[in-house]
Formats: sequence, structure tokens, C-alpha cells
Amino acid sequence: MSELVGGDGRIHIHSRLMRESLQDPRVLAQTDSQRDLRVFPDVTLISIGGQSIFDRGRAALVPLVDELIELKRDRALKLVIGVGGGTRVRHTVSIALDLGLPVGGIAQLVGAMEELNAILLNALLAPHGSIPMQREHFWDLPLYFDAGITPIAISVPPYHFWEPPPDAGPLPMHGSDFGLFQLAEVLGMKQVIYVKDEDGLYDKDPKHHRDARRFGAIALDELMPQLPADNILDAALYHAWVRARNLQRISIVNGLVPGQLTRAVRGEDVGTVITKRAA
Amino acid sequence: MTERLTITSALSGATLTGPGATATIDYRPTAVMPDVKVVKIGGQSVLDRGRAAVFPILEEIVEARRRGIQVVLLAGGGTRARHIYSVASELELPTGVIASLGKYIPMQNARMLQMLLAKHGGVFMLPDDFEKLPLYLQMGCIPVMSGMPPFGYWEKREPDTRIPQHRTDAGVFLSAEFLGARRGLFIKDEDGLYDDDPKKNPAAIHIPRITAAELIARGLPDVVVERVVLDYLPRARWCKELQIVNGLRPGHVLAALQGADTGSIIHA
Repeated sequence: MSELVGGDGRIHIHSRLMRESLQDPRVLAQTDSQRDLRVFPDVTLISIGGQSIFDRGRAALVPLVDELIELKRDRALKLVIGVGGGTRVRHTVSIALDLGLPVGGIAQLVGAMEELNAILLNALLAPHGSIPMQREHFWDLPLYFDAGITPIAISVPPYHFWEPPPDAGPLPMHGSDFGLFQLAEVLGMKQVIYVKDEDGLYDKDPKHHRDARRFGAIALDELMPQLPADNILDAALYHAWVRARNLQRISIVNGLVPGQLTRAVRGEDVGTVITKRAA
Repeated sequence: MTERLTITSALSGATLTGPGATATIDYRPTAVMPDVKVVKIGGQSVLDRGRAAVFPILEEIVEARRRGIQVVLLAGGGTRARHIYSVASELELPTGVIASLGKYIPMQNARMLQMLLAKHGGVFMLPDDFEKLPLYLQMGCIPVMSGMPPFGYWEKREPDTRIPQHRTDAGVFLSAEFLGARRGLFIKDEDGLYDDDPKKNPAAIHIPRITAAELIARGLPDVVVERVVLDYLPRARWCKELQIVNGLRPGHVLAALQGADTGSIIHA
């Protein structure tokens, strides 16, 4: 039974954290353990790039949608799709920066451009079972999976006006790749597959460097010391993943090459595969 | 290969992370509402004390508003937040879930404050109402909201704890920073910052003014504001100061709202 405790002018509820400063590392450590509860451990999150896929329009999108429809025939597969915003986000941000809007203002604006891609994709997938998922409607997921409905989420995290001041420069640190990573992490999902327009992660941008070297399968702690500065995913994702407990596997595949996504969903090593623990 | 259909802009083709992407842009930041005072009312330190602490503080806030000072109140959590954090931690819930649970108690506290302030123009706001702030302030209202930033499930895990690092102090700082306010004000039940917890160590020494970097360097086991705010302060563009005042001392809140350096100030 919970009891109320007084005597110092405040009314407390008895708990391990009662009266304690939540700034004290010794107190904070009492809340930790070696594992985090995994809510949806058999779900694959597929991220479809804005600039890399959606901005290429029909030619890139339709084959990918066909692949998703084919995947969805396997009712045992539990999929959630996240979408990026692409060139409209970049246009938004460049105007916002010119206007001198604060970082939180920029973070507030970009999600709308992703919503557009979520609706586009949903229009294509809806006849086969899909629904745009509202922000925090995770607790509806069992319902969707049971009904064969694939939810489509936007990616950017809802930090909005409260986006923290960046380490450097005026751009928000918490971008779309991070947002989807965090979604998979907090719900304890099986894997995230980032569908881009390159065969994976390279040591430098392969669009500008012919000698760029691709990473195959690599462990996160092996990758971190050589993390490419010009990266296909947000830096914030990698730093958050180092501290995370749940997510074990991230793949980066080429959505312009038919079959790569399907093979990655099936658990094959395609493109770049980053694992939390060395395989 | 199929072409990308891009809109030409200073950032087209760029990855949107890393400082390099914006090197060519002339960024001159605009302050959104620099005159607003963003004020936190502590959960454990004020609200859990009930009427004896809350009423006199609200009187001073109402008086400040009457004198034309624009105040936004953000509520802290307190002992009920500690209770749910404690239970959720035993269940090994991830930090993001705990952060989502942490939204509810400051929201209750904000609603309590709104009921008390209603006759003086108290208006309850959700984070989604944030853009209505100018309306409320121009009408002479006192907007009240939860201090918890809306990160929720997207709150990152920290090493060695499941407690979310961004709680209501962070929400106050980040709100002030977005609005372009120079100082965030924290109403607590101590005269500010000490070198130890003054509730447990009567010999703790008061620190009237200190930089965030110095405070971090001291490595104190307890600090008066969430540590993440101390990390952010040096790189803030606008909110360069945090003031902590004792709401249990008559006159201190009003004085602080009028710009006096009462209590302690942590600066960039």
C-alpha cells in the first residue's frame, strides 16, 4: 500500500525516489537495470527516404510499393513504415534559416512535409491495408498487425519548439533518421531498415567520391571510431544507439534495386548491416 | 537511374545534419517573444507544500502581471512523478515510456494552478497551443502549462539511469530559449544554489552566481536544476541565465520578476 508522508511541509507518496533529488547520480542509478522491457520485439521498422526515394517520384516509388505489397502477403510479418520529407524539408529549412527562425521553430515546421509523403504512400498502399499512424498511437499497433494493416508514421521526433540548442550551427540535431531509430528503440523492435538510394553506408559520400568504400556488416562499436562525417544517417542516431539497450540491428539498403528491401526484411545481410553487438 | 525531382534551395541535395550543410547561409536569428518571463513553479518544492506555499507565490505573480510583466507559468511534477518513475523503473520500462508517463503529473499541477489563477486570467495550455501565447499575453492572461517538454517516447536513454534527462527544468529553459528570453526563472523552496543539499546538510554554502561550466566542474552530487540544462546553457543563443528564487520568502518572486538578482544565478 502506498502511504502519504509529511512532516517537512510537503506531502510525499512513499517510494524509492521520495524526497530524493533526481539530479543525484546515486539516486538515478537505483532506477537502472541491465535490460529494458521490449514491447514489440518481432516488429520490423522500414524507413523510406524522402530525398532518396520519394523525390524520385513514380519511377522509384511504384516498384518499392509493389515489393511492400508482396511482403505484406506474409501475414506473420509485422511491419511499420516511416517516411522522410526530402527536398521540401530542405526548402522549408533554407527559408526558415533565411528568416532567422530559432532552431525550435525549424523543428516544428518540418514534420508537415513528411506528412505529405505519408499520405502519398498511404494512397498507394491503402487498398492492400495501410493507415497513417498518428504520433503516439503505438498502443493501437496490435490491432493493426492483427488486421493486416501496415501503419505509416512520420519520422521526425516531436521535439518541436523545444528542440535543444545544437552543438554547432543552426540546424536541429534530432532529425528523421534519429526519430525512427528512437521509435524502434523505445518499443523494443527487431530491426530498422533504412531504404535509401545507395547500397549502404560509405566512408564518404559515393555521389561525390568515386573511391568511396562501402561498409558491409559491422558492429556499432567498431563503426563509431571511424564514423563518416558525411553520413547517410543522422549523427544523433549513432550516439543515441550507443547508449540504448534494445535495438540490435540496423540495415541500410538501396530502394532502387529491386529485392534488396525484401531480403533485408527476411533477415539477410544486404547493403550495410550495423549490429549493436559484434556478430 | 531515376532523377530526384528537387526544389532548388540553399540546402537542396544536402544531408540535414552536421554544421557543414549551412555554411553558406547567412543566419541572423530572430527573437520570437523576448520580453516574456518563463517561470517554473516547482513540483516537490512548491506544489507538494499545498496552499501555504502556493497561494503567496501566486499573489506575487498576479501582482507582477498587474504591473504589465508578461509571465508564462510552467509546472513541475513532484512526489507523484517520483512515484510513477519509481514503479515504472521496477518494471524496467524504457526511458521513452517513462518520459511519456512523466507528462501527466506536471499537467495536473498546471491545471491546479489554472483553477487558482482563473479569476486573474489563468489559461491552461497544451504544448500544441504554444502558438497562442501572444494572444493570451496580449489579453493580459497568465498562461499555465506543463513544464515537461513533449519528447515523450522519443526521449533518449542516458547511461546508468532510466529517468528522462529532459524534465520540467529543461522544459523551462527550452521554452525560454525558443522565445528568445534572456533568463529562465525557477521558483523553488531554497534560496538558490548550494554546494550540497541544504535540506540534508545545514552547513551547505549558498552560491549566488556561477557559470554553468564552473558548476559542472565542481562535480556536486546534487544540483538545483536538471544537469542537461547546464550542458545546454553555454551554447544557448538567447537564454543565457537561470535564476533560482525561494518562493517561500515573501517578496522574492515579485522582485525576481522585476529583474532583481535574488536567489542564485547560473549563467552561460
